[in-house]
Amino acid sequence: MTQPTVHELYRALIRGQLSRRQFIAKATALGIAAPSIGLFLKAAEVRAQEDPTPVPADVAAPPVATPCDGDGCLFAGQTVTFLMPNETIQIPAFEVRDEFEAATGATLDIVLAAMNDTLPNLLQDMANETGAYDASIIGAWWLGELVEGDYLIPVDDWITDERFPQWSLDSVLPGLKNLMQYDGQTYAIAYDGDGQAFYYRRDLFTDPDISAEFEAEYGYPIPDPPELWDQVVDLAAFFNGRPLGPDGDPISGITMHLAVGQQAMFHFMSFSAPFVVGPDNTQLYWFDPETMEPLITSPGHVDAINKLVELAQYGPEAMMAWGLTESWDYFLGGNAAMSYTWGDLGALAQETPERGGKSQVKGVTKTAQIPGTMRYYNIAAGEYVDTEAPNIVGNTIGGSWAPVISKFAGAPEAAYYLMALMATEPKSMAYAARGFDGVDPGRTFHFPPPNGTGDIAAYVNAGWDEQDALDYTDAYFKLFSNPLQFPYLRIPGTFEYWLALDTHLSEAMTGQSSPEDALSATASDFEEITERFGRDLQLESYKRSFGFE
Amino acid sequence: MSETTLTETVARDFGPPPGKPSRQKGDGTKWFFVGPAIIWILLFTLFPLLYAMRTSFYAFRSGKMLRWVEFDNYRNLFSDEALIANLQRTIIYVIVVVAVEMVLGFLLALLFNRQMRGVSSLRTIMVLPLFASPIALGYLGKTIFYEIDGPVNRAIEALGGNAVPWLSNPTWAFVAIMVVDIWQWTPFVFLVSLAGLQGLPQDITEAAEVDGASAFQRLRSITLPLMAPILWLILLLRTIDAFKVVDIVISMTLGGPGRATELYGFYIFRTARRFFNYGAAAAQGYLLLFIVMVLVSLLWSRIKNLYDTDEAEAR
Repeated sequence: MTQPTVHELYRALIRGQLSRRQFIAKATALGIAAPSIGLFLKAAEVRAQEDPTPVPADVAAPPVATPCDGDGCLFAGQTVTFLMPNETIQIPAFEVRDEFEAATGATLDIVLAAMNDTLPNLLQDMANETGAYDASIIGAWWLGELVEGDYLIPVDDWITDERFPQWSLDSVLPGLKNLMQYDGQTYAIAYDGDGQAFYYRRDLFTDPDISAEFEAEYGYPIPDPPELWDQVVDLAAFFNGRPLGPDGDPISGITMHLAVGQQAMFHFMSFSAPFVVGPDNTQLYWFDPETMEPLITSPGHVDAINKLVELAQYGPEAMMAWGLTESWDYFLGGNAAMSYTWGDLGALAQETPERGGKSQVKGVTKTAQIPGTMRYYNIAAGEYVDTEAPNIVGNTIGGSWAPVISKFAGAPEAAYYLMALMATEPKSMAYAARGFDGVDPGRTFHFPPPNGTGDIAAYVNAGWDEQDALDYTDAYFKLFSNPLQFPYLRIPGTFEYWLALDTHLSEAMTGQSSPEDALSATASDFEEITERFGRDLQLESYKRSFGFE
Repeated sequence: MSETTLTETVARDFGPPPGKPSRQKGDGTKWFFVGPAIIWILLFTLFPLLYAMRTSFYAFRSGKMLRWVEFDNYRNLFSDEALIANLQRTIIYVIVVVAVEMVLGFLLALLFNRQMRGVSSLRTIMVLPLFASPIALGYLGKTIFYEIDGPVNRAIEALGGNAVPWLSNPTWAFVAIMVVDIWQWTPFVFLVSLAGLQGLPQDITEAAEVDGASAFQRLRSITLPLMAPILWLILLLRTIDAFKVVDIVISMTLGGPGRATELYGFYIFRTARRFFNYGAAAAQGYLLLFIVMVLVSLLWSRIKNLYDTDEAEAR
């Protein structure tokens, strides 16, 4: 008699044919290590979990797959275990579960982990070659870690395979498409598009009295939208403390999320991009591609951090300890004139109390590209370059959460089927338009003409204010299509490099060190991390991830 | 009839027959009782220690062992400025929170060690924070110290003061995490001290009272010396625990602003679970073990001395 595999045991466990104790006994008899057994048990815990956030029927994604029957069920008897962060981004997976199971005969288990535990759990599973998870949603910066660790299956061949739901890689805008690929191969399937955009209060910026007052003070009318960070600093100073909030409360000029460990480094990245990146320097931002020495202390970076510190003084002091939601809520409550952050804010601005949200700014939230500069420091040439027009740099900063398939998956093709199903146009359009699921637009059909092939009605039907939606989609299209893109770091240790930046940025923001010292300390940490990971190995990864010769 | 002590009973029932060497029949029974403890120690103490020791000699990349690095992870402990600053910060944290908890907990125990109306209900309420998980208290602390319209700042403003930047200012954030630790662990000191106080012989105190000793004199000359072994033990337990604090930092500040509230336990956690640098984390863990062992040795010898003195005086 042949022995069952651990995957067969796991399937028996989640179907209730084995108790946990029996599973442990049988898995131990197979010689499976205790940590691996623990991972299987953890995965099984959520099998029967109810859908945590049911989707209202009026914004549900339409069914795409046809239910299968008998031999037509491609993956009958297989189980796909899908690891996801326990954030709104998991909503579509629960929504599609029944449709997927009916179309393939496979079973879908969704394992939710805290956002900060998702990658450690996935990496632990992959490094131990356990295969407890077939697939996971990952942030784009993990791709370097996972591809360089040889943990992922490329999906290029499957994209054109007619057995699977069809989606087009070319529908993904260029900036985001780059993040799905690594060293010439595609590893991620289209899902979310992240990038930081600039948000501001349309009502305040277009008020003639306020505009006249601003012009009298600063010598130029309120720019709509602001195209330069210098203008944003003026605007933040102007609006800060003015009684323009709910009930006449004073508002802040700007709001940001600057707490350590809460993604503040992304604020610095999008802010600093036009100080360093420009037509003559499209990729040098992080490291010298010949020596792997950090470039973070360049004059452009120093200019940027000084300007950011100057801007931050026009926000609430409390934001030094704020994560995303605190800062978003502050803006949504009408307490700040401006912010710059991810697409979620635009979508959340539509969620008024009547719709179960908190927004006081629906219909007055305008989105624009991240402002630029009139000069940047070209690291390659070692000199400043003045520009005739604002130097505006696109970005894909953030997670751009996308599914990937583990090399140790027990059911990789079934897993791909699921991912492809979620990437089909009707579903992806529904996810992006309703917004509250954290899936932000990034594909051609998400954007109405003249930018894309989409229809603004999809957003309006999902509850958006039309003008807000038009501004929002236009800003994000320009952000992702801009030929100048912020160089996204994707090498092993990326998060450690970024956390070093995050920590020292916080020191500068809270006056614990000067901006210059903060960047020097960051560079020093970068060097230590590079040495520890192995300079040559890191250099190879860096070159591969950016396509440097 | 002579009294039979427990030791004599055990020797009679389980010990070797008179005149036989002890290593004959008793061995099997002895292993039956000692075996589970040995297995427990081997599995859950020795094996993890040895495994962590092995791990500490490796560099990791992408979650995998990359190469053998000899003592590099240990050498880095002494050259990593952030780690050294972190240790200094942790030591300050431990000294402050343990000192405040000891003083506050003991004073509260003195206060509640008397007959008064509703004292048992008050005692129960006093120890409630002890039963909450530290991470839950941390999140509660974050809510309480929320800077814009948080309850603490509202109370301060209602009293005419200015809102305090509890979490966004480096110094205040450090104070805030200490307050939450004190909030959670003072009840532990209170509970154990109260149990100790209630076990003290009352006749000595009463005699001193009759002799005209003031309350402070009775506290200094009778209660404190008698409570000393218990207080040293509480000090030992709280010191060990305070060195390992992680939850409060994770839930309240994640170590920020900057590194202002980054404590050593959190540093190890982050090295392992966020940076996947298991080798360095294992070495950092060994340093913590060493520090705690030194402390335990010092404090334990002090406690042992106290007990030895007591026994000598009793004889």
